[in-house]
Amino acid sequence: MSDAQTSLGHPRALGTAAQTTKSRFSPTQLWRWTAGPAWLLAALVTWKWPDADDFPATNEFAALLLAVGLVLIAVAATGRLKDRAPWTVVLGLGFGAWELIQAKLLLLPRPFFGTPQDLLDVFLTDWKRLGDSLFHSLLLLTGGYLPGSILGIIIGLALGRSHHVRYWVRPVMRVIGPLPPVALLPLAFVVIPSTRWAGEALMALAAGFPVAVLTWSGVSAVDPAYYDVARTMGAKNRFLVLRVALPAATPQIFVGLFMGLGASFAMLVVAEMLGVKSGLGFYMQWAQGWAAYPNMYAALFVMSLMCTTLMTVLFKVRDHLLKWQKDGLKW
Amino acid sequence: MVNSTHPEAPLGLTLSHIHHSYDMPSGSRLVLENVSLDVEPGEFVALIGPSGCGKSTLLRLVAGLEAPDAGTLLADDTPITEPDPSRIIMFQDPTLYPWRTVRGNISLGLDIRKEKDPEAIDAAIRLVGLQEFAAAWPHQLSGGMAQRVALARALINNPRLLLLDEPLGKLDSLTRLAMQAELYRLWKSQGFTALMVTHDIEEALLLATRVIVFSPRPARILANIPLEWPSPPHREDPRLQELRAEILRHLEAVMASG
Ligand SMILES: Nc1ncnc2c1ncn2[C@@H]1O[C@H](COP(=O)(O)OP(=O)(O)OP(=O)(O)O)[C@@H](O)[C@H]1O
Ligand SMILES: [Mg+2]
Repeated sequence: MSDAQTSLGHPRALGTAAQTTKSRFSPTQLWRWTAGPAWLLAALVTWKWPDADDFPATNEFAALLLAVGLVLIAVAATGRLKDRAPWTVVLGLGFGAWELIQAKLLLLPRPFFGTPQDLLDVFLTDWKRLGDSLFHSLLLLTGGYLPGSILGIIIGLALGRSHHVRYWVRPVMRVIGPLPPVALLPLAFVVIPSTRWAGEALMALAAGFPVAVLTWSGVSAVDPAYYDVARTMGAKNRFLVLRVALPAATPQIFVGLFMGLGASFAMLVVAEMLGVKSGLGFYMQWAQGWAAYPNMYAALFVMSLMCTTLMTVLFKVRDHLLKWQKDGLKW
Repeated sequence: MVNSTHPEAPLGLTLSHIHHSYDMPSGSRLVLENVSLDVEPGEFVALIGPSGCGKSTLLRLVAGLEAPDAGTLLADDTPITEPDPSRIIMFQDPTLYPWRTVRGNISLGLDIRKEKDPEAIDAAIRLVGLQEFAAAWPHQLSGGMAQRVALARALINNPRLLLLDEPLGKLDSLTRLAMQAELYRLWKSQGFTALMVTHDIEEALLLATRVIVFSPRPARILANIPLEWPSPPHREDPRLQELRAEILRHLEAVMASG
């Protein structure tokens, strides 16, 4: 865009020929039109070059690469695929390189390092169990994170607004809060009859603590003049808490919600590995027990997809609620 | 003119022997010393005094945001113990809520009292000339625009007593003149009692029915000057210059002795 404008600014100096050449082979154009071929190249290597060993799903993997390559060419033709083009090229070449190094030349020790088709095979044959594990992880996570966050916001608001609550709750928070919730897991499994509930309770704790502390800090930082303005117009405590303190503290509350989500992820995995008999953590534990490394990688991939998706959702919610702010971090 | 039992009737004020101080690390700091003042319903009283003398503090007490150390405040013979929407204060800082749009800020009082009156909001926005900015966020406004929003936010409550703390302080001189005229018109037509802090002596003389001059902190009343213009004064009116000189004499005398 800026290139085109510069050349338009000096038509005589650059000449018409230079101008058209420039717009046809600008870097963005180059990246866009390389994306599809990069994936096609990877498909070709996968399909034509013989495997070094008997790997499953080689042809399926080649087909997948081919499909992605064709879609990318179609997308490039419609003129989209701008910012992401370089990443798409690198990803395609990366898959090709991985295929070459491990499936064709077998340069890295097996079975710790798998091939792309090993991974694909897990998704093709075991997708039901993976999906089921994902579902149970999400269920466990929501059962802990949501109540924990809501409780954290309520406690934080109360801490920020009431001397009595501060007097009684602050010492408790200071003792329990800094303790990593994971340390309470063995105890929780003994005290709470269901391992599920134990995991959820600790996830609620893991999320609730940072949310409560940051909500509190946000409420304490509210300009007292904000309360004065509402009070002169007849506002009572309910309005001051819910319609003044809460929105004013929202930026801080979201910092707490992000920290709490991270802590909940950690707690989720540990709980599933150590007691809860379902979910992605449990799947990974099982895969490791059977030395099924491709399954472990597949579960890791799904887990990272889950975490990043949830983070993105939280960022979207924040951007929507905080659109009144001048600036914000982009995820 | 207006029936005094009518809920919208202007409020009268009686302040007697008000003392007020703030606790500081170095001990208590006396801000108001024996301030007594009667304001008739419908008056427009301007408060003038050196910076930091206690004018804003006096308005906070009248608004009911703080209780005085000693003395009594009566609004129409009722003691002032807490804030009330009939006594609206427009603060020195606009203090708009950054999470509400201009429109949302202006409708604050209605939201608090769970009233719905979109026409009143529109009228208030038009009054301060911010139609194009109704959907803007406070951080997108200039200082003067923010102050106009604060004025609209105060007026929408139909106050019986309007407390103005340098309401036009941040406006350029042209907007300032227009807003002065607008304030005067509003006060004339809506018949509220007004108490306005200002640093601009001319503004005080043009708008008010009475000017109160305060000493430096702790604020005492130095002069209480009723203004009885047969017709609204002109800016170049010689009587205006005389009064201006008189007020300055009061201030200079106390500054020199202190
Ligand atoms: N909350 C507070 N705590 C301690 N001291 C305060 C507080 N509010 C005001 N003061 C002090 O009281 C004195 C009077 O303050 P006030 O804001 O009433 O002055 P003012 O006359 O409005 O001044 P200005 O014209 O500059 O706005 C000042 O010395 C100030 O430092
Ligand atoms: Mg002041």
